[in-house]
Amino acid sequence: MEKILLKNIHKEDSFKIETYLAGGGYVALKKALKERPDDIIQLVQDSNLRGRGGAGFPAGLKWSFIPKDPTMQKYLACNADEGEPGTFKDRAIIDNDPHLLIEGMIITSFAIGASSSYIYIRGEFEFGASRLEEAIAEAYEKGYLGDNILGTGFNLDMAVHRGAGAYICGEETALLDSLEGRRGQPRIKPPFPAIAGLYGKPTVINNVETLSCIPAIVEKGAKWFAAIGPEKSPGPKIFGVSGHVERPGLYELPMGTSAREIIFEHSGGMLGGKKFKALIPGGVTAPMLVEEELDTGMDFDSLAALGSMLGSGGMIVMDETTCMVRVSWIINKFFSHESCGKCTPCREGTTWLTKVLYRIEHGEGNAGDVELLDRICGNIFGRTFCPLGDGAVMALRGCMKHFRDEFVYHVEHKRCKVC
Amino acid sequence: MLTEETKTHIEGLLNKYKTRRSAVMPALMHAQKQNAGNLTEEDMREVADYIGLNPVVTNEIVGFYTMYNPLKDIGTYHIQVCANLSCSLRQAEFIIEYLEKKLDIKSGETTKNKRYTLTRVECLGSCGTAPMMQINDDYFEDLTVSKVDEILSNLD
Amino acid sequence: MITLTINDKEVSVEDGTLILEAAKQAGFHIPTFCYQPILSRLASCRICLVEIEGQRKLQPSCVTPVMPGMKVQTESQDVKEARIGVLEFFLSNHALDCPVCDKGGECELQNMVYKYGPKKGEFTEKKERFHEKDYILSPVIVKNSNRCVQCLRCVRVCDEAVGRTMLGPMGRGAHQEETSFLKSYMDCDQCGNCIEVCPVGCFMRLPYRYRARPWDLKSASTICPYCATGCRMDIQERGGEYIRAISKFGKGVNSELMCARGRFGFDFLNNEDRLTKPLRKKDDGTFEEITWAEALETIKTNFKLSSPERIGAIISARNTNEEFYLLQKLMRTVLKSNNIDSSPRWSSDAVSAYVTACGINEGGTSIADSIDVDTVLITGSHISDENPVTDYLLRRAFDTRRIGVIIASPRAMKLDSSAQMTLRNIPASDGTLLKAVVAELYTAKPEAFKGVTGLTKIKTLDSATLSKDCGVALDDIKATTGKLLKSDQISILAGTEYLRFPESLEGLVFLRDALRALKKDLKILPLLDRCNQRGAWDMGIHPAFTPGYEALEKEGLGCDRMVQAADDRQLDMLYVICENIAGLYPDAKYAVSALSKLKFLVVQDVFMSETAKLAHIVLPGAAFAEKDGSFTNQEGRAQKIDSLLPPPGEAKTALEVIAAIGRELDYGFGPSTADEVLAEIREATSMYREVEIDTARNDSALVKGKPAALRIADFLGKKRFDDVEAENKPSLPVPVVKVKPLSFKLVTGNHLFYSGTIARRSHTLRNLVSGPMVEVSVADAERLGLSDGDTVRVKGKYHEAILTLKSKKGSRDGIAFIPENFTEVGLNRFLKRGEGIQEVTIRKI
Ligand SMILES: Cc1cc2nc3c(=O)[nH]c(=O)nc-3n(C[C@H](O)[C@H](O)[C@H](O)COP(=O)(O)O)c2cc1C
Ligand code: SF4
Ligand code: SF4
Ligand code: SF4
Ligand code: FES
Ligand code: FES
Repeated sequence: MEKILLKNIHKEDSFKIETYLAGGGYVALKKALKERPDDIIQLVQDSNLRGRGGAGFPAGLKWSFIPKDPTMQKYLACNADEGEPGTFKDRAIIDNDPHLLIEGMIITSFAIGASSSYIYIRGEFEFGASRLEEAIAEAYEKGYLGDNILGTGFNLDMAVHRGAGAYICGEETALLDSLEGRRGQPRIKPPFPAIAGLYGKPTVINNVETLSCIPAIVEKGAKWFAAIGPEKSPGPKIFGVSGHVERPGLYELPMGTSAREIIFEHSGGMLGGKKFKALIPGGVTAPMLVEEELDTGMDFDSLAALGSMLGSGGMIVMDETTCMVRVSWIINKFFSHESCGKCTPCREGTTWLTKVLYRIEHGEGNAGDVELLDRICGNIFGRTFCPLGDGAVMALRGCMKHFRDEFVYHVEHKRCKVC
Repeated sequence: MLTEETKTHIEGLLNKYKTRRSAVMPALMHAQKQNAGNLTEEDMREVADYIGLNPVVTNEIVGFYTMYNPLKDIGTYHIQVCANLSCSLRQAEFIIEYLEKKLDIKSGETTKNKRYTLTRVECLGSCGTAPMMQINDDYFEDLTVSKVDEILSNLD
Repeated sequence: MITLTINDKEVSVEDGTLILEAAKQAGFHIPTFCYQPILSRLASCRICLVEIEGQRKLQPSCVTPVMPGMKVQTESQDVKEARIGVLEFFLSNHALDCPVCDKGGECELQNMVYKYGPKKGEFTEKKERFHEKDYILSPVIVKNSNRCVQCLRCVRVCDEAVGRTMLGPMGRGAHQEETSFLKSYMDCDQCGNCIEVCPVGCFMRLPYRYRARPWDLKSASTICPYCATGCRMDIQERGGEYIRAISKFGKGVNSELMCARGRFGFDFLNNEDRLTKPLRKKDDGTFEEITWAEALETIKTNFKLSSPERIGAIISARNTNEEFYLLQKLMRTVLKSNNIDSSPRWSSDAVSAYVTACGINEGGTSIADSIDVDTVLITGSHISDENPVTDYLLRRAFDTRRIGVIIASPRAMKLDSSAQMTLRNIPASDGTLLKAVVAELYTAKPEAFKGVTGLTKIKTLDSATLSKDCGVALDDIKATTGKLLKSDQISILAGTEYLRFPESLEGLVFLRDALRALKKDLKILPLLDRCNQRGAWDMGIHPAFTPGYEALEKEGLGCDRMVQAADDRQLDMLYVICENIAGLYPDAKYAVSALSKLKFLVVQDVFMSETAKLAHIVLPGAAFAEKDGSFTNQEGRAQKIDSLLPPPGEAKTALEVIAAIGRELDYGFGPSTADEVLAEIREATSMYREVEIDTARNDSALVKGKPAALRIADFLGKKRFDDVEAENKPSLPVPVVKVKPLSFKLVTGNHLFYSGTIARRSHTLRNLVSGPMVEVSVADAERLGLSDGDTVRVKGKYHEAILTLKSKKGSRDGIAFIPENFTEVGLNRFLKRGEGIQEVTIRKI
């Protein structure tokens, strides 16, 4: 497949505006600015582009919820918090092709009528933040940002806001609170950000990869985009493969490419030729797949049908030597560490789960512990304020669904079955 | 005490946002940088005062986000090693153990000469190049023991 | 209205009602932790989850509004399991040290676990502990975070209602702890609202710690004895000692809110210096104990010796309506004197004018109604310090609704942050400022002013000159005018500065009439600083009107004139109840010398005041928790108070004493119980006829008035406002003070922790402040090279005092504020009768 999102990243000085322009950059912007904003929203709706941040919500539909009142201040916030373990795709664009994102954001802002936009980038990405800042300065200089962009009368400001270490700020409303200078905790919905978002004003929040798809859609049309991959979740997708494979890294492939193909063809197969054991398909939240499920297409609907999810498309591959209790403990520890503390089930539940998992993993499990895990999961799932707590349960249940015997073995024998 | 440079920086930040409060996170981060990675009580008060917030707000912020090191004693080089899943599958534990031995500290501690602080952290978004660590602002990826030796010996 | 079914029962509720509230109306209780109606919504504790047909997940009933046809289950298996699950989570990380916890027996978590389960927790892991020992956060607050349920009520109440933002959730996830900045000792409002709202034993009262269990306490429902906000509270005692005051959710105008004075200032009741025996002054100036019979006999003899116009009575505005009524009845029907008044701080003429200007004689206005408007103008009050809970209630309303708020005050205050505009006028020029606004209103819409009383005068007002005189920029005055013109509904909250400087009332009356002429829906709410000041006036504690504000043909003497009459030896007898004339009259030297000339002074009080020291007979009195009766707050809300303990020793309530004196003089005098007196009050005045005395919160408890034919004195001439137009008098002279370097205008008022002299007898309140202070603006402090905490000498023409300096951001320069309530300062010795505002200098020592 022709590369769309990662086409520039290996170029020399790929991050500079000159390189970007030479590769046909900002052509889409010029085209878009000649259209009516509503037509661009329609175009994106027709393209069937679904959000790449994890939930897969149709981008055009989200934009269409923004009130049309032109006197109202609106905002665009780009979600560059990339914190889901196993995910490292947005960083590639940010570090190496920042103008792709910036162009996508300018077009999006134009479509929704935003005059101010922010990129919320996770604090640890110091390098990426400065790359973005330099790129934004270049874009201002060239007249792609600021007042009266390309003489069209459209004004847009763009700024980078750095997080400071909190996974929950990837959740869109927590992100907004963080942008407002608060502890990043999710807000009550409704009202949804499209109605009352940043500073209480209508706001669209999209992932880096989602926004980076926009220039190509504008340039090549909705039909072209919709034809890539499955009908209901089309387009190019960056799969980030990590763990026990020969060639970990980023692979831009059509949505719906099978997991087997990605692991065994693109990523060079299992590390050291060991046997495959399990795959986390979309960041640690996504329930695991096992060997029999590897022919599934990596797209929103196919994975959902299996009870898992595409999430961020961060694929973590594990071989036969991996202890699943330990994996669960690591994942859960992450969730309890990152629980924002707002709601009871997540705050107390994930902490409790982690303690029990630690004991089981360290050979201190007691009879009944596995059932206890089930019960705690039951008391968290569906009762939390935001999806983080649910995510912790999905991950653990996903693992226990396939590898319950390992948990039981750990409790009974006070040691690991595989290692 | 906030330096003039920090104050100028904060002043610049205030233009970026619709509310002054939005500037509190970057302002605190800048104050921390100014003190080589440590955030003092005085700075927290001064940032609050400068922005026009009650000091309690800066306390809330620095307690919530893990990159702030309030009232801590962080060494010149803050080594943060990712211990999350992808890195762990790629022997991150081994790297951490190696560093603990080499620096003669446990993770979470600072060497006596205040040169190094070692911390285990959650995923840093570099899973495809695991294992990895961050030293101050820079990422070091695809780590091996010899690479760690080399990186440490190249620090200033 | 929306119809839905809850637990298969059909209910109709108003649009926008939350499921939780709808269930309550239908008689189903849903447990809650984080929900608190006056605070912002959180929906974080998840104890209130309910099942809604058609929804995949259980939903928080505390934020979900009802929808037509919705089918809700609050007790289904799923809901019950979820509830137990949440409780189990709470317990998993909870200290579970109920036997030593102050909250034991009244803890919401304990009660909920008892009611809903779980019967046994499975949590056997090591608990997170925030700290080992409880830690002290302020002179009144002690904290144990290990018991926290993370409901954030403490944080929200401090931020959203109190407006202090002293507390925050520190840390993340399970490590989150609600506390102060780096757990430091707090210099805050000390209101203890964080304690009251905490459902568990995290925030605790330091003075109450380990002193009792809830089931050992006896309580009575009463009203706070400090300001006229009229907060309802339960006062509690154990073994004859008052040990706690609590406010309750949903009770009183205040609900759970109180300020430091109300919550902690009750302990003056226990003060070892309480008067317990009647005393008589001996020839050598010392007192001897006597019996009540002897005391009454002496009083009777002396009263009989005097002619009516030479007898007077002054009662403090902290007594009950029943006591007021009976006192004026004694004075008017038995002693035939109209020399009756309630406060030495302002003149009775000022009171008449204020009552009319604010329409106090026309009946009550609730706070809720006064803020359900487009624009609120607050003037003549440092509301944040004078009426703290009114400030809390307003803040919450102002911050959540679209109400335009304008605050005019020389001194900055906490509520400023909720205002769109703050005007920093020169002290005592509140009326000048309002006149400038009136002038602008007139310029904008002259045609509307036809027939307005005072029109001739209004026409001559010049906003530019007035703006200079009050020190507020003309642009700000124009902006204020613009806001008022744009609003349909307007409220003016007018404070006690109008009583201290009654010249200002002309401006208030002009503005009132102008806004009415402009067809604005106008409400005026008086802001008063003594708990039953309004009641005193309603009951005719005034030389010019009877209960219900019926004007008297022959006016008696007010406090001011009584003091003068005493000085001129025109007054022989004075009966003072709980009022400290020597300590508060704005010229101490004059007052003391005048009172010393009286032939007979009888003072009933709870402590030996400066005034009592001058008395011939001192009678031991009772305080609020020792009385039954009613108080009427600034809204005109008549509220019931119940007694908890009898007064100490031989002390008696004023009601008993007035009745006894009455009977000595006239055998048939009565009635003598609070209930009987109330019945007679209802007979005597239509204002109170239909009032239901409020035990909770009830708008029918607002007194209903009728505009009375009050004679309003003009404080300068002998004319009334109504006559002003005919005469077209020159503009009232406003005391303009040119500020020389280092020279300040002395301003007085209440301190946040004190109002009135009783507060100084509260050990807890005294502990909150290091000592007497003087407050200036930050700029002035810098100008003087002074910083907070410096010891300074404040020197006036007649008096000087050594005080601690405090600076306030945003206050007007050139003003020195000294609170009224530090007896040791002798504030009224700075003042001189007839000289108005004094100037002082401040120097570091
Ligand atoms: C706990 C949590 C963490 C999330 N983290 C991220 C993230 O790091 N990056 C991201 O783009 N979206 C993240 N999301 C999803 C966002 O809430 C949101 O759906 C997304 O930014 C919308 O953009 P999209 O429609 O373009 O995907 C997260 C969601 C949750 C609940
Ligand atoms: S589930 Fe609750 S505690 Fe967890 S992150 Fe979401 S809101 Fe915060
Ligand atoms: S006492 Fe009042 S002001 Fe102080 S922290 Fe508690 S709520 Fe806030
Ligand atoms: S301290 Fe009390 S009020 Fe505050 S969050 Fe904890 S339980 Fe709630
Ligand atoms: S798991 Fe280590 S960087 Fe992502
Ligand atoms: S009371 Fe509803 S979530 Fe706390």
